[in-house]
Amino acid sequence: MSSAAVKARLLVGRYYSLVVVLAAWELLARSGAVNPRLFPTLDAIGSSLWAMTADGTLATHLGATLLRVFAGFGLAAVAGVALGVVMARLPAVGRVIEPLFSLGYPIPRVALYPVFVFLFGLGHLSKVALIFLECLYPVAIHTYSGCRDVDRLYLWSAASMGARPARVFARVVLPAASPAIFTGLRIALPVALVIAVLTEMIGSTRGLGWLLTYATAALSRPQAFAGVAAIAAVGFALDRLLVTARTRLLPWEHEAPPIAAGAR
Amino acid sequence: MPAVGPLTAAAAVVVAWQLLAQAGVLPVWLVSPAAVVEQLGVLAASGELARHAGASLYRSAVGLALGAGTGVALGLAAGVSRPVAAFFDPLVALTYPVPKVAILPVLIVWFGISDLSKIMVIAISCFYPCFIAALYGARGTDPTWVWAARSMGARPARTFLRVVLPSAAPQIFSGLRVALALSFILMLAAEMIGSSNRTGLGFLILAADASGRFDLMFAAIAAIAGLGFCADRALLRLRRALAPAPPAVEATFGE
Repeated sequence: MSSAAVKARLLVGRYYSLVVVLAAWELLARSGAVNPRLFPTLDAIGSSLWAMTADGTLATHLGATLLRVFAGFGLAAVAGVALGVVMARLPAVGRVIEPLFSLGYPIPRVALYPVFVFLFGLGHLSKVALIFLECLYPVAIHTYSGCRDVDRLYLWSAASMGARPARVFARVVLPAASPAIFTGLRIALPVALVIAVLTEMIGSTRGLGWLLTYATAALSRPQAFAGVAAIAAVGFALDRLLVTARTRLLPWEHEAPPIAAGAR
Repeated sequence: MPAVGPLTAAAAVVVAWQLLAQAGVLPVWLVSPAAVVEQLGVLAASGELARHAGASLYRSAVGLALGAGTGVALGLAAGVSRPVAAFFDPLVALTYPVPKVAILPVLIVWFGISDLSKIMVIAISCFYPCFIAALYGARGTDPTWVWAARSMGARPARTFLRVVLPSAAPQIFSGLRVALALSFILMLAAEMIGSSNRTGLGFLILAADASGRFDLMFAAIAAIAGLGFCADRALLRLRRALAPAPPAVEATFGE
């Protein structure tokens, strides 16, 4: 057997459950046991997805959602890393900021969305602001713990070889903390997408979340499922992007860690 | 610089807010803390608070119990059994980064704008962190402990209960904590998107917002914040009792 065939077999073997689930869906949809309007077949969903891609609807809404996700996430990544570093490096500042994080952590910040709408209106800004606030927590917390838990031996040896504090920070603390920072980012990115979709469902005229509620309200099930598939694909692609960036930037860390442990 | 306690910091913010509101500097919609507390009292006295909070808590608690129960059970099973892991691993890896709130409209189509669709979306969201935490918790059990238990004659079931489960417990609690926060977010989201019987704190927030009752809106936000905070503290306390030695990140936050 050629090596390509072996690889293909391994791939199918690894992902067989996916095939099983999709086949079960298709069988159920075609069996007539369930209402096909509630449970569209895969090819109905696929052709609806294709139609939306062809006429540009998908691109418009995808663009709006991605703009909000990247703006909120990007700002939170910069501010969160900065906050985490400051909290770890300057204990006096850390003591003031840390309570805000430990007290605010369990509070669902989505509840503040109406307030944000008042402050920033129904457009991009209120959504970006809420995404920023939600993403700030995991990024700042993981950066803080990553910077604080740097191995003392690294710090001592850098200092004994004559490195100044700024250099120790840039060449020792930051690289040592970067796996933790990436974990924080990887937790924050799906959260950004969740909040974007959610706020678009609550109040918007654009975005994938709006597309989804619109399709459901218009009783167009295949379109609604196509919307779910599009959002799922975006979520998966964003996560892969971050994992790829991590393996490129941190080649010494071989495996991306499981995400749930210690998350948020 | 003296250490500022969390309560002192929070109190300072509240006092400043109240003073600014009394000075008339703040916009109309940013009502004073005193007005919010007063409205909370009115809500509590009329029984409205209990009705809305009860509906919200019921949805999030049932959803969390279902999702966390299934997640932990399947995660532990996948952690000790290769075939189970081979089945669930790719499914979870593919669907984990997907925003679960996206399937809410679909669930509403299937189950109606009822408690059931809300509970389902909460359960599905809570499943993931619990499954992943239980899986890696069980897998991370030190093999020497398992070998020691086996060589001393413990059967597989006993080894699982007395060795694997305790060793996975801290991780499982981390997963539960994430799931708890998620259950509150999803509960609010589901109630904001559609509440059939006009109950729930998320519904109350949006309804108060729509009718310009900002004191009511902030009272509901305060209630949800208080509930989220108390639920998290209760879980942390439970973890301290059942599974000491928490993982590093959370040892520094919220305890």
